[in-house]
Amino acid sequence: MAASTDRNRTHLRLYLLGGILVLWCLAICLRLVWLQIFQYGQFEQRAQRQQQRTTEVAAKRGIIYDRSGHELAMSISVDSVFAVPTEIHDLGQTVSLIAGITKADPRELLARCKAGRTFCWVARKPDAETADRIRALNLRGIYFQKESKRFYPKRDLAAQVLGYVGMDDEGLSGIEREYDDQLRGKPGRLLISVDARKKWFGSVEKQPEPGENVVLTVDQQIQYIAERELKAAMQQTHAESGTVIVENPHTGEILALANWPTFNPNLSREITPERLKNHAVSDVYEPGSTFKVVTISAALNENLTNPDEKFDCQMGSIVINGRRIHDWHPFGVMPVSDILAHSSDVGAIKIALRLGEERLYNYIRAFGFGQQTGIELPGETRGMTKPVNRWSKVSIGAISMGQEIGVSPLQLAAMVSTIANDGVWTPARIVAATIQPQSTPQTIAFHPAQERRVLSPLSAAEMKQMMQGVVLRGTGRKAILEGYSSAGKTGTAQKVDPATHTYSRTKYIASFAGFAPVNNPVITVGVILDSPVGGHHGGEVGAPVFNRIAQQVLEYLHTPHDVELPPNRQLLLARQRVKQQDLEEGSPDHLGETLDAADASAADAGSIPLAPSQSTPEVAGNAVIPAGLRERVPSSSDEEKPAAPATTAGRTPDAPAHLPSSGTVVLDVEQGGVVVPSFLGKSVRTAIEMAEESGLDLEAIGSGTAREQSPAPGAHLPPGSRVTVKFER
Amino acid sequence: MSRYVSFRDFDWLLLVFVLLICALGVVEIRSATAHTKFAGAHIKQLYWIAGGLAGMFLMSLINYQVLLDRVHWFYIAAIASLITVMIFGQKYLGARRWIKMPGGAHFQPSEWVKLILILAVAKYFADLHQKELSWGDFVKAGAMVGVPMLMVLVQPDLGTALTYIPIAVMGLFLGGLRAKQGLAVVLLAGSMMPLAWHVLKPYQRDRLTAFLEPEADPQHTGYQVIQSLIAVGSGGLWGSSAGSQTHLAFLPVPQTDFIFAAFAEEHGFVGALGVMLLYFIVLMRLTQNAQTAPDRAGTFVVMGLVAVLSFHVLVNVGMVVGFMPVTGIPLPLMSYGGSSVLFMFLALGIVMNVRMRRFVN
Repeated sequence: MAASTDRNRTHLRLYLLGGILVLWCLAICLRLVWLQIFQYGQFEQRAQRQQQRTTEVAAKRGIIYDRSGHELAMSISVDSVFAVPTEIHDLGQTVSLIAGITKADPRELLARCKAGRTFCWVARKPDAETADRIRALNLRGIYFQKESKRFYPKRDLAAQVLGYVGMDDEGLSGIEREYDDQLRGKPGRLLISVDARKKWFGSVEKQPEPGENVVLTVDQQIQYIAERELKAAMQQTHAESGTVIVENPHTGEILALANWPTFNPNLSREITPERLKNHAVSDVYEPGSTFKVVTISAALNENLTNPDEKFDCQMGSIVINGRRIHDWHPFGVMPVSDILAHSSDVGAIKIALRLGEERLYNYIRAFGFGQQTGIELPGETRGMTKPVNRWSKVSIGAISMGQEIGVSPLQLAAMVSTIANDGVWTPARIVAATIQPQSTPQTIAFHPAQERRVLSPLSAAEMKQMMQGVVLRGTGRKAILEGYSSAGKTGTAQKVDPATHTYSRTKYIASFAGFAPVNNPVITVGVILDSPVGGHHGGEVGAPVFNRIAQQVLEYLHTPHDVELPPNRQLLLARQRVKQQDLEEGSPDHLGETLDAADASAADAGSIPLAPSQSTPEVAGNAVIPAGLRERVPSSSDEEKPAAPATTAGRTPDAPAHLPSSGTVVLDVEQGGVVVPSFLGKSVRTAIEMAEESGLDLEAIGSGTAREQSPAPGAHLPPGSRVTVKFER
Repeated sequence: MSRYVSFRDFDWLLLVFVLLICALGVVEIRSATAHTKFAGAHIKQLYWIAGGLAGMFLMSLINYQVLLDRVHWFYIAAIASLITVMIFGQKYLGARRWIKMPGGAHFQPSEWVKLILILAVAKYFADLHQKELSWGDFVKAGAMVGVPMLMVLVQPDLGTALTYIPIAVMGLFLGGLRAKQGLAVVLLAGSMMPLAWHVLKPYQRDRLTAFLEPEADPQHTGYQVIQSLIAVGSGGLWGSSAGSQTHLAFLPVPQTDFIFAAFAEEHGFVGALGVMLLYFIVLMRLTQNAQTAPDRAGTFVVMGLVAVLSFHVLVNVGMVVGFMPVTGIPLPLMSYGGSSVLFMFLALGIVMNVRMRRFVN
């Protein structure tokens, strides 16, 4: 009995213990329900947060095209090298091996590797050979990561326009900086799984969106001509710096913008602040005589004078408000056209005095001085124009001949373009469009921004004629072209010595700004050379550069000749005469003849109201369709001359009356893109390297040497396209 | 006597469930140690289980009453082995717990001391044929467990020392503990608390309290608890096949103390509940065996194992789900470790022995 009650009690206690156990079990199960079902989402997130790191993957940067779709800047894929220092046993040795290949400072590299325990760049975007040599070492803890590297296939072509990018593909100057947001694209995300020891395994989650492409108005051929001639001039004159602008006067499109000194944006060591400087947009200089165009055209437009009115230039000296100003040459009595042609300072001052301060200032502003042209480049200057209330008593005299005022080369070109464009000022532009990356041909239509009329068509025509006089009879005779009429103005400005704040006697800025052909201008060319050694007059150093560039560009653009091309002998004679500085007979007879006729018809053109409908089909062939430079009418001068023997080709009177308001650039991406190289006979490795270099995606089939490829060599493909190559032993 | 003993009376059902738990353990060890320096631990675990099974069958052949008659010798041997550890033990991670055996294996005496304590306590209380426990017996029984427990505590191995407590509690409780004595135990424990707290080193205190507020120091004291909770929680209902907490090494010791967390991450709530159910079945089956034991001593032996096993399971899982402090108590049958596996199977061998002799008396 006792035993049985004892046993019962034992059983009772067993049940009690069992009950406690069951309760505890239940509590744990409820806890599991709470953790795994109700709190699941939260814990899942926490797990991901600590197990995954997201890193940005840079998007492929957009391409910069010239107006015909040639790549000026593109991105290629390269291998960057990084180290995971925690995985390296002998860090010092590894680092010294790599530093030996990359020519980096081993101590600095070692310090960086020690600082970043889990990740450290060893070589960013090295060339293929360096990357291969590092790969060949087969080092532990050294890894490779594809990165995109900016590549400028035309090397230093338009370097200051394009600018360059930093190590992380951020645009640091030029278009690269101005259009950084568009070019950059949207970065993707790289999702990395990290374990508790921060060791990682990579995997891409979101692909980056490539940046937009930028199409420039620059034509790479014209740019090349401009740079070649600028370089030649720099070597000849030993000037400190120089810039050339080639512009379409009707639309303000910049066709070329060259600077010297220049650099190759592919080589970072060449990039120095002075080479980066885009003189055309950021330099401010005193324009000198070229500014007389403003003074005289203002007076003409205000009907205060006419090209034939005679002024007494007082044998080279004038007193304004008690201060005597000396001319560069003692001129006597001469008409306004000669004042411009021979660049008389006294004449310009007299005209300015008749104009008055207020009106002169208004025209200066109307021609776009003292404000940015709005070109899509960083660092554009406004120039320096003082408002009238800050002018001194003699300021009007100084400003009339281009002193006491600061302008940029681009503003100067815009001023000349205004004359060429029948008195309508057009803002300069260098970007035609930004386009989405896609592989189909695209047509870009654009419209010039706000234009404004500065001069009446009549005044503009008179100015054109007078500026042609500068070339034919005046200081700009070296700007006479073969087969084309040309107009322009020379400028020779003394530089202000920064030490003494007085005009330097040895340093000048020589400039020439002009356009051609006169009645139907296709291009405006501005040339500015800073501190040439030896000859320093604008007519002496600037005009020949204009001459060579305008001649080549007009021929490249298949512009119809408007001056009869003389037989070779006569041409040589004409050149010799120019060299002899024969002032009286500055131009050959036949040339003078045709030009007289041209002048007359130009004067007519000025009075004709602007009506595109008036241009006959024949005329349209000759008329310049400003933005349609790519869609050239195949009318060469050879065709033109027999067709219109009486009136010289291109001189159809009402042609310039067609004032363009919009234009089209056809960007043919198929013709642009990457030229497929020939892989035939190459090894797999070489082929892959070649494909990477040209920005193509290679699909290699088989091994050995390449036997077949598709598409064929020479085909044009958009960058990143796939090329299939079959390899056989 | 032995003619009544037959393997027909062997508890095959219990063995099936035990081996099922072991199998889940082996699979999880394999998954958790893949690509780590412990890779291949599951194979070793299989050897241990095989060895354990052999030990279990051997143990079931020896009459537990014979073992109980000689338990004082075993007890002396146990104390001696603990002293040996104190003097010659291998110091590892700041604790002197292991004796290096010839052949490279490490032997942890505190595990088999557990087994001897079960037998000793069973023998002691079975021999007391009183309804109620006298104060003298109460103190003696307490000392019997308390002495080795203190010896393990100074190793220091708090986790294993704590596992001795349920043996004593179970013995006292079933041996006729009076309410007053129960109160005395509670009071004694209560009064010892502040003292024990004072003795503990700061890091030990932090470890014991971290589970209450793991977010207070998520990188150090709270780290293991938080990682365990994240692992369990991110398992969801059906588990995450990636098992990233385990595979990316966020979860500490996923093959031993936190194997339940690793399992719960990979197999979700369903898997965790399944494991809990398996343990419950094993415990219930053991309790049933205790009830059918031929004598008081048999009941005590089996219930001693039930006490140890349930304590292990509930404290370990409690730790994984954030109910209990992190004390380094493995999950028996699942966690990787030879001593633990051997202990479980030897103990099961004795249980089988008890069961096989249920019709003898």
